[in-house]
Amino acid sequence: MLYELLAATSKKADDKTQALKVAKAVKSGSTLKKKAKKIRTSVTFHRPRTLKKERNPKYPRISAPPRNKLDQYQILKYPLTTESAMKKIEDNNTLVFIVDIRADKKKIKAAVKKMYDIQSKKVNTLIRSVDGFSSPCFACYSHLASHSTVNDMGGISEQA
Amino acid sequence: MARIKVHELRGKPKAELQAQLKDLKNELSLLRVAKVTGGAPNKLSKIKVVRVSIARVLTVISQKQKAALREAYKNKKFIPLDLRPKKTRAIRHRLTKHQESLKTEREKKKELYFPMRKYAIKA
Repeated sequence: MLYELLAATSKKADDKTQALKVAKAVKSGSTLKKKAKKIRTSVTFHRPRTLKKERNPKYPRISAPPRNKLDQYQILKYPLTTESAMKKIEDNNTLVFIVDIRADKKKIKAAVKKMYDIQSKKVNTLIRSVDGFSSPCFACYSHLASHSTVNDMGGISEQA
Repeated sequence: MARIKVHELRGKPKAELQAQLKDLKNELSLLRVAKVTGGAPNKLSKIKVVRVSIARVLTVISQKQKAALREAYKNKKFIPLDLRPKKTRAIRHRLTKHQESLKTEREKKKELYFPMRKYAIKA
């Protein structure tokens, strides 16, 4: 009984002190001060910058990336062995290949380097549409750094 | 070169298969050159053989890869879409067996208290 009385009185005291505190704050005007109003300089409302998260998938959609189907074997199909092509080999130090149409000059240069270990100085390409071909192929000429490597290519020099 | 046997290929490790693939592709490119420069008929007939063996090696490589991936995702919750059962779109979007079997409390109680009774008729 006594304990309860004591508790009651202390509670009242606490409440009172708290009430006094709040009254003080209100009088000083700090709690109710409004936030400075934002000045809008434009008529339109643009979405503010929001958080942009990077992709972090829980599982890859494709289980494994597909293999590169345009590798050097696919790019360089076969060399051209027409008379004019032969002439180019001898006179202009160039090789003429039939090349996959999806290859670009950079890829052709890299493929020639990989297959025959030839450093090509320049690659020219053109698209042919020849009777009997369902899909046109590039004919590509590549100028070579050294003539000796031309003869190293298997089979071509034998024709000459 | 001996004829490529698939059951031999399946035993080989991936690196060896890739190396074999490279050799075959090299051979194919040589044969193609020979075709253009008027090669011997025995070379020309080999082109088909080499092409088919390349196909065999690629098949084995991709089958092994798929099997290994399925193993890797065995007990995971989310698996890549190409490892999920393909079936048909309609079948995939149907309710699962569990979802179909769900009943409301009401229905369950009804079944419990008022099951379908079977009667026998005396002749």
